Amino acid sequence: MASPSPSTSHDINEPRDGGDTQNTKDEEKKDENLLECNICLDTAKDAVVSLCGHLFCWPCLHQWLETRPNRQVCPVCKAAISKEKVVPLYGRGSTKQEDPRDKVPPRPAGQRTEPEPGNNFSGFGFGDSGFHMSFGIGAFPFGFFTSTFNFGEPRPNVATHGTPMYMEEQFLSKVFLWLAMIFIAWLLFA
Amino acid sequence: MTERSPSKRRLHRELLSLIKEPPPGVSLDAEQIEQNLFLWTIHLEGAERTLYEGESFQLQFKFSDNYPFDSPEVIFTGEHIPIHPHVYSNGHICLSILTDDWSPALSVQSVCLSIVSMLSSCKEKQRPPDNAFYVKTCNKNPKKTKWWYHDDSV
Ligand SMILES: [Zn+2]
Ligand SMILES: [Zn+2]
Repeated sequence: MASPSPSTSHDINEPRDGGDTQNTKDEEKKDENLLECNICLDTAKDAVVSLCGHLFCWPCLHQWLETRPNRQVCPVCKAAISKEKVVPLYGRGSTKQEDPRDKVPPRPAGQRTEPEPGNNFSGFGFGDSGFHMSFGIGAFPFGFFTSTFNFGEPRPNVATHGTPMYMEEQFLSKVFLWLAMIFIAWLLFA
Repeated sequence: MTERSPSKRRLHRELLSLIKEPPPGVSLDAEQIEQNLFLWTIHLEGAERTLYEGESFQLQFKFSDNYPFDSPEVIFTGEHIPIHPHVYSNGHICLSILTDDWSPALSVQSVCLSIVSMLSSCKEKQRPPDNAFYVKTCNKNPKKTKWWYHDDSV
């Protein structure tokens, strides 16, 4: 499959009516191809070479390694590959010989978000009142009812709207309201 | 050149090289693809001296923003779906490089060539044995199918 310069044999068979200039152009093109990253097909930036000899931009290869962390293989030849086993390339022009692997490569989207403790959308863990606002966005109905019924006190799960448990809770809060009013009335009149 | 996402840059490069040196039997409508780089329609000719000689087919490629790290979604479309043990009548193709064995070094061109060679090596035109069941139950996206690549010889 994809060898670094697939057009070599093809070029030889082409009629060379362009003369020398055409030849040098072809040569240049071939050189460019040789320095192209096997993933983005651009000239390799922060170039690294695998032990199997395949050239990549480090950011491109890094993203591929992150895509399949359990099966890290060379995109070209499927040889085993890893961060430790690639060689950074330094051209003559590069003044700073910093290892491209030390730079933070652009990570694939979605992998940067670290899970905050307790901030999962499983629908449980409503008890501690600190998280109500963030839940209100992710799981709207839950968050809404939690904040409506939560009067500052941490309390156990509030049932969802429409379920028997919800009706019961409403009933109970009414009962408590009446009890409180009776108590206040008793305080006043006694 | 205007600012482009990496996936667009790469798709554009692939398009240019396919226009310049299309592999035998592969053709495309470049203007249509330029309109939407993430959806390609490609015309395939069955190779000479194979069971599909003289037939022509249409392949549809759908790419995500994460191409080439994500494989493209590739299916046969149009009136004429090849009759082949790895091609379902809804156009889905059972080919490992489209899912498990995908690599970002593969390209539209190499996928087309693999499909041409898959067709070319066919010895008897027939649908997959589970065609009727699969077509009824599968997801629209063939990448959602957990393919079982048990037979690479055909
Ligand atoms: Zn690259
Ligand atoms: Zn390799």
